[in-house]
Amino acid sequence: MYPRVLVFACNWGGWSCIETATNLGLHYPVSVKVVKVSCLSRVHVGLILKAFEFGASGVMLLGCEQGRCHFSADSEYIINEYEKARSILETLGIWKDRLVLAQLPAFDGRQFVMQVMKLIAEIERISTSKHARTVEPRPAQDIKVQLHL
Amino acid sequence: MFDLQNVINDTRIRLCLDCGKCTVVCPVARYDPEFNPRRIVQEVLRQNGRGPMDEKIWSCISCNMCMERCNYNVKFTDFIRALRYKALAEGAEIQYSHGGAPQATMHIMAQRDIKQNRLNWLPKDIKLSKQCDTAFFIGCAPYFDILFSDLGVKTVEGSKGALRLLNQAQVPFTLLPNERCCGRDLLLSGDMEGFLALARSNVHEFSRRGIKNVITNCPECYYTLKVDYPKFLENWDINVMHITEIIAPLIESGKLALGSLKPVGAAALAPYKVTYHDPCTLGRYSRIFDQPRCILASIEGLEVVEMADNREKALCCGASPWAHCGAVNKQIQKERLAQAGATGANMLVTACPKCQIHLKCAQKSAENNDVCQIEIQDICTLAAQSLLPQEIS
Repeated sequence: MYPRVLVFACNWGGWSCIETATNLGLHYPVSVKVVKVSCLSRVHVGLILKAFEFGASGVMLLGCEQGRCHFSADSEYIINEYEKARSILETLGIWKDRLVLAQLPAFDGRQFVMQVMKLIAEIERISTSKHARTVEPRPAQDIKVQLHL
Repeated sequence: MFDLQNVINDTRIRLCLDCGKCTVVCPVARYDPEFNPRRIVQEVLRQNGRGPMDEKIWSCISCNMCMERCNYNVKFTDFIRALRYKALAEGAEIQYSHGGAPQATMHIMAQRDIKQNRLNWLPKDIKLSKQCDTAFFIGCAPYFDILFSDLGVKTVEGSKGALRLLNQAQVPFTLLPNERCCGRDLLLSGDMEGFLALARSNVHEFSRRGIKNVITNCPECYYTLKVDYPKFLENWDINVMHITEIIAPLIESGKLALGSLKPVGAAALAPYKVTYHDPCTLGRYSRIFDQPRCILASIEGLEVVEMADNREKALCCGASPWAHCGAVNKQIQKERLAQAGATGANMLVTACPKCQIHLKCAQKSAENNDVCQIEIQDICTLAAQSLLPQEIS
């Protein structure tokens, strides 16, 4: 039983990595769920925290390589939100390493699978350590109401 | 849980005279003609609670100005809260501000097995007492400072100031490493389950550590712990005090003396003029008006001037429970900041971290520089700054 991981993947570089991984027949656990967003700058600290609130054990932000954003703003927004979310997770005692930002070159399926497996290993390490914390997910109907994008 | 007849009885809604005084003083109604407290009450009474809830129930900022003016003490803010609870139960959606991050943080905090690291900002010079039945309740300041770092808010400085004041006054206290948010924002937005989960976690934490007294510096925590917890929780027997209720009597009796403000850096601004902004929960809700003013007046070389609307009539900072914040709220904040600017003060002092955040947000999002950019400071930070030279000597 693998921990539940939510991947916010951008429509361009990030999504292409996942598609390539599928095309190459690379395996990653079914507990990894992907939410496609038009750009990682769409994701903010509220969405990241909601994923944890509803029972995710880890969150990955998968976007384009630095300097290769499909849009003009590049990664400054997401880095700001990522840092904030990490600080909040640290203060909440959930551990900041449950959140990773992966900015991969387009079509790098192998790198995506490697990063996801690394995150899963990290989550397992955290949850077997003294900071273990079982997640109590909130009921599913809440998710429908509150996580509407 | 929602019984309209009970709510109507508890909030004295049937005594509404339909006079509209609430609507005249309501800061939201002034900028948004669609929002009308009188009409909301009358419509709900006429339909006997049936029918679709008006979208406008989310616009209320719970500043309690309506109740201040109402001849018959109709509890409109409590009534709105009950309507929100009902609307949420019927599947209404809240438009969360800040992407819902504050609410998500609160919901995660409400989980039973959470072990927070919320005291990592604590400076070494603050002395805590072990085996003490008085706890200082910090509230969400550590989270606010992360979430609103873009605005440059440092609400933790207010907590640090309050702790230094207590140290100086030799009031023993301890800190709770795993206290939760008081849940006021969830309560105001009608999320009873979330509120109760947080409240029960706090009660558990207090009883586990044998806490009998709680001191807070956040007015929202103060009012929630003092007034709302006894309403919703059984066997709540904890004495709750606001930091100004402890410090002001000590100053008056001469047991604690504040020095003068040493301006940080070379620029000495003398004489220093400040104006005090009454937070709604501390002022109108809790009737603490004089204590903060007493603390400010005892700082040497500090001149306190009043804004046009002060004390019971103080204008709200435009806060909403991190939801449905929009142009109307910004207008209220702009008006409040303009009032502060009109006094000629160098600084606006408040006692509530949320007022700080909301007013700074208005300053940051100002277009064409039409918002007064007065410095905003917490009363405890300011009072503790005046302590520092004495501590060194």
